[in-house]
Amino acid sequence: MKKAKVENKIDLTFELNGQPYHLTVPPTYRLVDILRTDLQLTGTKISCEIGRCGACSVLLNGKVVNSCLVMAYQIQLSTIETIEHVSHQSLHPIQQAFLEEGGLQCGYCTPGMIIALKDLLEQNQQPTDEEVFEHLSGNLCRCTGYTGIIRAVQRYREVVNKKEEIQ
Amino acid sequence: MKELNKNEYKSKWRIRPDGHDKVTGSLKYLTDYCFPNMLVGKVLRSSFPHAKINSINTTEAEQLEGVEAIITYKDVPGMNRFGLIFPDQPVLCEDTVRYVGDAVAAVAAISEEIAMKALSLIFVEYEPLEVIDSPDKALSSQMKLHPAGNVLHRAGYKNSEYVLDELKKCPYIVEETYETPRQMHAYMETEGGVVVPENDGKLTVYAATQHGFKDRMQLARILSIPESNIRVISSPIGGSFGGKDELNIQPYAALLAIKTKKPVKLHNKRTESVRAGIKRHPMKMTMTTGANEEGKLVGHIVRIVADTGAYATLGPAVLDFAVEHSTGPYIIPYVDIEGVSVFTNNGVSGEYRGFGGNQVTFALESQMDRLAELLQINPLVFREQNLRKADDPGPLGQRIVKNDGARSVLTMIKKSPILTQPLKTEPLNVKGRGVAITMHGGGLGFGRPDPSGARLSLTKDGEIEIAFGFEEFGQGLLGSIEIMMMEALGCRKEDLKIVIGDTDLVPSSGSSTASRSTNMIWNGIQKLKEPFLNKILDEAASYTDTTRDLLYLGGKGIWRKGKIDQLIISYYDLANYLSDKLPIFHTQFHFPTTPDAVIGGHYLYSFAAVAAEVEIDQLTGRVKVTKMDHCVAAGPVVNPLGYLGQIEGGAVMGLGFTINEDSVMENGRYHTQNLDSYLIPTIKDIPKEMKVFVDESLMEGDVFGPRGVGEIGTVAIAPAVTAAIHDACGLWVKNLPVSSEEVLDALTINAFVEK
Ligand code: FES
Ligand code: FES
Repeated sequence: MKKAKVENKIDLTFELNGQPYHLTVPPTYRLVDILRTDLQLTGTKISCEIGRCGACSVLLNGKVVNSCLVMAYQIQLSTIETIEHVSHQSLHPIQQAFLEEGGLQCGYCTPGMIIALKDLLEQNQQPTDEEVFEHLSGNLCRCTGYTGIIRAVQRYREVVNKKEEIQ
Repeated sequence: MKELNKNEYKSKWRIRPDGHDKVTGSLKYLTDYCFPNMLVGKVLRSSFPHAKINSINTTEAEQLEGVEAIITYKDVPGMNRFGLIFPDQPVLCEDTVRYVGDAVAAVAAISEEIAMKALSLIFVEYEPLEVIDSPDKALSSQMKLHPAGNVLHRAGYKNSEYVLDELKKCPYIVEETYETPRQMHAYMETEGGVVVPENDGKLTVYAATQHGFKDRMQLARILSIPESNIRVISSPIGGSFGGKDELNIQPYAALLAIKTKKPVKLHNKRTESVRAGIKRHPMKMTMTTGANEEGKLVGHIVRIVADTGAYATLGPAVLDFAVEHSTGPYIIPYVDIEGVSVFTNNGVSGEYRGFGGNQVTFALESQMDRLAELLQINPLVFREQNLRKADDPGPLGQRIVKNDGARSVLTMIKKSPILTQPLKTEPLNVKGRGVAITMHGGGLGFGRPDPSGARLSLTKDGEIEIAFGFEEFGQGLLGSIEIMMMEALGCRKEDLKIVIGDTDLVPSSGSSTASRSTNMIWNGIQKLKEPFLNKILDEAASYTDTTRDLLYLGGKGIWRKGKIDQLIISYYDLANYLSDKLPIFHTQFHFPTTPDAVIGGHYLYSFAAVAAEVEIDQLTGRVKVTKMDHCVAAGPVVNPLGYLGQIEGGAVMGLGFTINEDSVMENGRYHTQNLDSYLIPTIKDIPKEMKVFVDESLMEGDVFGPRGVGEIGTVAIAPAVTAAIHDACGLWVKNLPVSSEEVLDALTINAFVEK
């Protein structure tokens, strides 16, 4: 005879990528599960699942977090932005810079990198190298050796500088 | 010599075709796929590094609601073994487990939680056996891990009976034993995928591999169904570096999918990936190397012991490669090399970027530096006077394609500011600099089947379609194909359709491994270009009634030369006109091999030199590599952005190998189970200044085209960095990764001596 499996669920209301959402999920779900499994937003990646690699980075109330460490109840009434939304109108200039400077290879770390950088660049358009290194030290990349990523940030700064000059 | 950057390469510096979908997160990796009614699969892995299985009881797990299938070895209809060359690894163990990654059972359930719960309800009765956790133990133990014993493979090369005698006569001799770590590939995307049973009885496997056809062949053998019933879709991949060439989750997902008749997804957690995944072979290498009064190398005795872990995978070939690369780009008259690859109950060692070259290059280049110091000559000068010449034979005495890359990279690296400019001193840090070079073979080597193939056609939609059985795992293959096609045919990227990574749609091209893909793609295109162009131009000429000689392929279609060139027919219209006789050309060929019957001997080589500057914290002994320059000679640069990425990424991976990466095992179990204890370099750990220079030339008569650079960027990092450490504090590093304690000891001794 099969044993029944009992599971509590919780109701969640939050805003994701500009849209309101209502979901019922087990409280043990992590934000990364909700995104990848329930909502099929697979741009957010998983790799270590212990908050070490940054592949699962998303913006929660405007701040970068590791979605593998965020439990379902913690997103109640919050605002979340994932990689899918970053280019909803056009490529973000940092995405463009990644393309031009070889900031990605396999691309698996890339959404997390872009999210982390977006968070930084929104606070500070002209971060110093040190600030960039500090901010990205929680995002691992195994392919690029980070050099392309650094070039991409430099490129971004150049573009922003030029724009400012024109204005 | 040319610096590899955007300014130098201008229009060749191109955005990768898969880039847009990667930066926006819209690209679906194989582990991102979901299908209706999809189940989640989980594998139960061994509780012991070595044990007998007395019984496996799945009854309770089967009764759990939501569990749809449980499999053990009894459910494997075909051969219960896999392995790229020697199929010796059980899909599901019958009576013995040999390492902690061994699979005993697998479950498919409607959710991950239920699958995990089910695993906990499978009861396996083990009888622990003696754990053989080092090659030394394996070689002396009575306990046999495999029926034929604990030696997987022996390889060697000896060019004289008098090596020892000659060495004894040498006034300068260095003897040392080096050890290198069990490096983990640490691809960001762990192994995974989905297997879908189709309505027509076929099976579609969406899972990462570097060789779709090899997966298909092995799966057919395991499942006991014809290969033609299996379709393997195997790109894009979130990193591999050699780590996904062997089957990983595919057999379990396939068996479960067949049993449940539903799609089954398996995606390893990082901890499971660490436990089950292959690693770089830890090697222990003893080298005795002697030079004469003039500073010429005379003799070289090498003994290599490789810990291959529980199963063979590519252990034999890795050892062969290590043996071959033990003499590097040097001419040594008396050589005696022996290697042995030993089974243990440790993690399985297999293919890894550099393929056994990294380990021996660290040892060999360290020997060169030590000898140079004994002789009191500059290490670069010492290398130079022992360097191979363009037409010298290869390291195994085999004929190789004439190549002066060794001299070229040495000459280039000499100019590196890291080596020429004075070191800036700082109060709390000591600094040093070092250099190393390497010679690296491409392709699988003599005596190994290494076929490749390609297909070029015009589709009914008017696209020029090029198809290869290679895989994109981030290395930039798609970009390279695009560039080579545009150069060969003169068309635009919009006119092209590139097909890879799907066994139903592509010709077999061999594995995307051994730095062979770029070279094989170039060759494939060269072979197909003439017949394709001829056919297209003939047809266009007859259709438009134009002199064929005036026609050429260009953007959108076929153009006629004239005062102003004119598009005379688009590819689309031509395809329409040709309708049922669309041109399609195939080619099959073999990776070029040496004419000399030397098993595993390579024919095409590439070369690299690395200069590194390190900074050591006097208080902690922590080593930081502050600058690094890389010079590479690998023929023409096809795809500058891709090439640069491979060298930079490879260099940082090599840095990890040198400074902090080690999959630490004790009694056959991993201590470093995730990325919090297995430390790969972060953005803060890399050199602030890093440059790559290239020599693109090939010698006259070299018709073999561009060589791949997937591996070469990793190979010479360790010895360059350890030479810099020696320069800074006098320590000769013997074991990798570098231990801060040892560095600190060396600094303390220095301080003591100075007083
Ligand atoms: S998966 Fe969340 S930080 Fe690694
Ligand atoms: S691009 Fe592959 S991990 Fe960063």
